Amino acid sequence: MPFLTRVLTALALWSLIAATHLHAADSAPKITVGTQEVGLTAGYMLPHRLTKDHTTKQEGPAFMPSWMMTITDPLGNSWYRGQVSVGAEMVYIQFQEPILTHGFGFTPKIKYSFVALDRIRPYAEFAGGPFWTDLAGKIPEESSRFNFVLTAGVGISYFLTDQTALNIGYRFHHISNAGTRYPNLGLNASLPFGGFSFFF
Amino acid sequence: MMGQFISQPLLGCVLAMTLGLGAGCSHRIELAAPTEATAPTNATVATDARMPLLLETIRVTHNGSSIAPPALLERQVLGAIEATRLFAQHYQSGHTQPDADQPRVTVRLSIDNVVEPHAGQAAWRGFVISASMFTLAPFISLNYDYATEMSLEMERWDGQIKRYHATSNGSAHYNLFGANPEIIEQLKGQVTEVCLSSLLNQVIQDSPFYLASKEQPQGSPIRTVSVGVRRSPTRAIPVSQPVAASSPQ
Repeated sequence: MPFLTRVLTALALWSLIAATHLHAADSAPKITVGTQEVGLTAGYMLPHRLTKDHTTKQEGPAFMPSWMMTITDPLGNSWYRGQVSVGAEMVYIQFQEPILTHGFGFTPKIKYSFVALDRIRPYAEFAGGPFWTDLAGKIPEESSRFNFVLTAGVGISYFLTDQTALNIGYRFHHISNAGTRYPNLGLNASLPFGGFSFFF
Repeated sequence: MMGQFISQPLLGCVLAMTLGLGAGCSHRIELAAPTEATAPTNATVATDARMPLLLETIRVTHNGSSIAPPALLERQVLGAIEATRLFAQHYQSGHTQPDADQPRVTVRLSIDNVVEPHAGQAAWRGFVISASMFTLAPFISLNYDYATEMSLEMERWDGQIKRYHATSNGSAHYNLFGANPEIIEQLKGQVTEVCLSSLLNQVIQDSPFYLASKEQPQGSPIRTVSVGVRRSPTRAIPVSQPVAASSPQ
C-alpha cells in the first residue's frame, strides 16, 4: 500500500506541475478520427467476495499501459455526444495478498468518451482478454493459471493541455478461466485508478 | 536441410506479418467525378483587359450549420482564382481593398459541406476488430464520406451577375491501423480542390464577360496571357499506400 501511495502522490504532483506550467489552450481539445492515445494507468485492486464460497481477499497494485485509436467523430447532439475509440491494454497486477504472486494480461478495449463538457470528458470503457497468473492453483476459487480478465468501468479525463489528460476512475474486475478447468468461481475486485493519457 | 526446414515457416510468418501489417495500415481515397465536369478550358486574353477581383464573402456550412470559414480554405479559394490568371489583382474583404471607384469583379462564394463519418458503422466494426484481438484489422475497412457543393456569384463592375454551381464528393477507406487525421484532411482538401476547379473552369468559359473591352491603340502590340484552371484530378483516383509514405515530411 505505501508503494501505491507513492505512485499516486507522484501522479498528483506531476499533474499539478503540468497544470501550472503547460499552457492549456482555451479551445476544446481536437480529437478527430485517427487520433491516437497512449496512456499509463495505475490503481489498487480491492477484493469483492460475492458468494460465501469466495474466501480469498486478493489485493495489490495494478499497472495498465494502453494504446487507443479514435474511430468516430463525435456522435449525437445532446449530453451524450461522444466519440468511440478502440485499442488494447496490457495489465500487470501484483497480488500482495493472500500470497505474493503476479498476473499479466492483454485486453482489447473499447471506450466511449463524452465530449459535451470540452476539457472534462467522462468516459465508459470495457475490456477483456487473456490473463495469466500464478495465484491460481494456490486459492480455492481458481485452478488454472491461464484465465481471462473482463473489466468494465467509468472515468473522467481532464485535459491539462490539448494533448495531455489526467484520468481518474473506477473499474470492476473479474478474473476466471471461462470453465476450462474447475473450480472456477472467479475473482472479483474493484479497481480505483488514476493515470495520464497523451493524444497525438 | 535443417536450415531450410526452419527458415521456410519463419519466412512465411515474416511475410504474413508484413502483408497483414501492410494491409492493416493501408488507406485509399476515392473521388467521384464532379457532376458539372467539363473539359478543361484555356483561353488567351489581353493582359490590359483584365480587371481586379474582390473576394467579398465566403459562406460555409457544415452539415447544414453555418461555420466560420477556415483561413486555410480562404487561402485555397483565393489561390485557385489567382492561378487562373484571369484577373489583374486579387483583393479579399478584411484585407487591402481596391479603390472605391475602381471597376472590379466582386465574388461571393457559398460552400455547403456534408460529412458522413459512418460513426455507427465504425463503432460496430471497431468492436468486432477488438473482439478478434485485431486479427480482422487488415480485412475490415472503415469509411468516411465527404461532399461539397459550391455556388459562386460573380458581379461585374456594371452590376451584371453570373452564377455558377459545382458539386463534388469522395470517400476515404482505411484500416484501423491506417487511421490518421491527415487522411480525412486529404479527402476534404481533394474534394474541395476538384469542386473549385470545376467551378473555375465554368468561369474561364465566360472569360470575355469579365474583361474590359478596350480599344487597342494603333501600332501598339497586344500583350496577352493564357488563362485556365490549375490542373487537378477530376476523376476517381484510387490511392493505396501506407500512411507513413503519404504523410507530409
